[in-house]
Amino acid sequence: MTVKWTILIVLFLITGAVLVQACKKSGDGGAQTKPISFDIPAGWPAPHYNFSGNPLTQQGFELGRKLFYDGRLSKDGNFPCASCHQQFAAFSTFDHPLSHGFGDQFTTRNAPGLYNIAWQPQTHWDGGITNLEVQPLAPLTAPNEMAEDLNNVLNKLRADASYPALFKAAFGDENVTSQRMLWALTQFVGTMISADSKYDRVKKGSASFTPDEQTGYMLFQSKCSSCHTEPLFTDNSFRNTGIPVDPTIKDYGRMRITRLPADSLKFKVPSLRNVAVTAPYGHDGRFLSMSQVMEHYNSGVENGPTTDPLVKNKIPLSINDKFYLLAFLRTLTDSTFIKDSRFSQP
Amino acid sequence: MNQKPNRLPLKLFVPVLLLCAATFTGCQKDVKNELKGSETNLTIRFTPVVQYDSVRMYFDTTTYTNRWSESFIVKNFKFYIRAIRVTNTTTNQGFEIDVTKYYLVDFRDSASALVKIGVLPGTYNRLSFILGVDSTHNVSGAQTDALDPTHGMFWTWTTGYIFAKLEGTSPSSTAAGNMFMYHVGGFKQGEDANKEIQLFFPYNTGVTVSNGKNTVIDVTADVYDWFGTPHDIKIAQKPTLMTPGAMALQVADNYSKMFTVMGVKIE
Repeated sequence: MTVKWTILIVLFLITGAVLVQACKKSGDGGAQTKPISFDIPAGWPAPHYNFSGNPLTQQGFELGRKLFYDGRLSKDGNFPCASCHQQFAAFSTFDHPLSHGFGDQFTTRNAPGLYNIAWQPQTHWDGGITNLEVQPLAPLTAPNEMAEDLNNVLNKLRADASYPALFKAAFGDENVTSQRMLWALTQFVGTMISADSKYDRVKKGSASFTPDEQTGYMLFQSKCSSCHTEPLFTDNSFRNTGIPVDPTIKDYGRMRITRLPADSLKFKVPSLRNVAVTAPYGHDGRFLSMSQVMEHYNSGVENGPTTDPLVKNKIPLSINDKFYLLAFLRTLTDSTFIKDSRFSQP
Repeated sequence: MNQKPNRLPLKLFVPVLLLCAATFTGCQKDVKNELKGSETNLTIRFTPVVQYDSVRMYFDTTTYTNRWSESFIVKNFKFYIRAIRVTNTTTNQGFEIDVTKYYLVDFRDSASALVKIGVLPGTYNRLSFILGVDSTHNVSGAQTDALDPTHGMFWTWTTGYIFAKLEGTSPSSTAAGNMFMYHVGGFKQGEDANKEIQLFFPYNTGVTVSNGKNTVIDVTADVYDWFGTPHDIKIAQKPTLMTPGAMALQVADNYSKMFTVMGVKIE
């Protein structure tokens, strides 16, 4: 009798242990996964997305990286995330006012650079996405972007020779689910931190501005930093900067999300980090150079009912001001980030 | 876990029970429809109907005519429910299932129209649930089970769930392919389309849920109610609805009256 109970209890303990282990694997990646730390640069605020529900691991990150560069996430195989988010352009689209999508279509907006987006409370020019994990669903399913169906993507990944094993390595078993795919992409994109520009090194005391850059920095602080607030160079607000609506695109920005007329023509203030490599500029890429953007603030602002009070009287910028500002803005380029092999095509 | 801890010697009972509890707690995310010991099975069986509960609705092949004399064919009909509760209004006793548990009733997938829950045995005369998704779950990122975005009930251009979806074609529609599409959602203040649905049983009866039996409550969902009372929704005027806001609130008002308890079966 005693023997029988002992066996039963031992079996019980084993079952329990196995179950607990199984849970660990599906919950946080299992014993074999290698955690990655998410290091907040000195002086930065806490990120909006902090990975507390999506523990960062090397395996999850690498899966996300492969997915980011994989054309099979799109309908015809030609449009991986990376087609509109190119590393050398700080993950914006080089030289394209509007990004291109499935079937030779334009999208309606300029692809934003991807860096420090864990600090963005909302993504997209209109702030429509409030949780980073679900952002990939937008380009993936938009008919003029990747034009795919979520279930089709998952089926392609399930049928692939390598993905199930990568999902297992990252999440404990071979189940290819939407949540795991989105978590992995979030691990990759959400850890793209750009904080090693000359500006950052100056702040740390390991480099110094030239006199031109220093003059530009002073001008920047007096004329630009109310919206492009340091250290992220955006205050994450939505503003109408006096850019009139394009009559062919008819994009009224934030109003589409809030349905409030007060938000008509408001778009997210973009970060100016890496600005020198992310041309063209503006939500629809209508400004081809930084000089054109500055001239817009100097002379081009068109006032309407929702134009931001900070720009409605324009921002006078002399030729000299622009020269110095350009010198400063170029110090925001993070050449380490745009060459970082962790984020390059695997 | 088929073992029966109550047959173990008493001194071993506690540690084994703790192990069980720990195991289940650790696995909570994976456990579907958790039943506590004394709960018993209750099934809510949803059936799509038209013409004020008189006719079973079928997809694709049958043409129906709404109160505005607009003929239409239904291609999709689905909605989320949560916070299911049974109450006895005389004794004021009730039982509510885990409020974080969501069910997607998709009439294209007949299994999903059987919502199986566990409730405490008792006599109840009111069934209620909320049609919609609460604000927290709208913004909680990549989710699973009923809230998996693969179910096509998640907006991609703005973060949030579609609470209820009715799609089809109608010659009255001016949209591409004569389609009409009503996607109702919205959780922000002023746009909250969540609806608490309170249902009584026919002829002031109720339902007695007993141990060892599966009790089935038959509930119909009438497509016709989407188009009127209190708000006039005409396919000709507005064939597509794909954003939260004023019209979504109107359609939600309308469809909040689409449910009727037709009867109870004890199996």
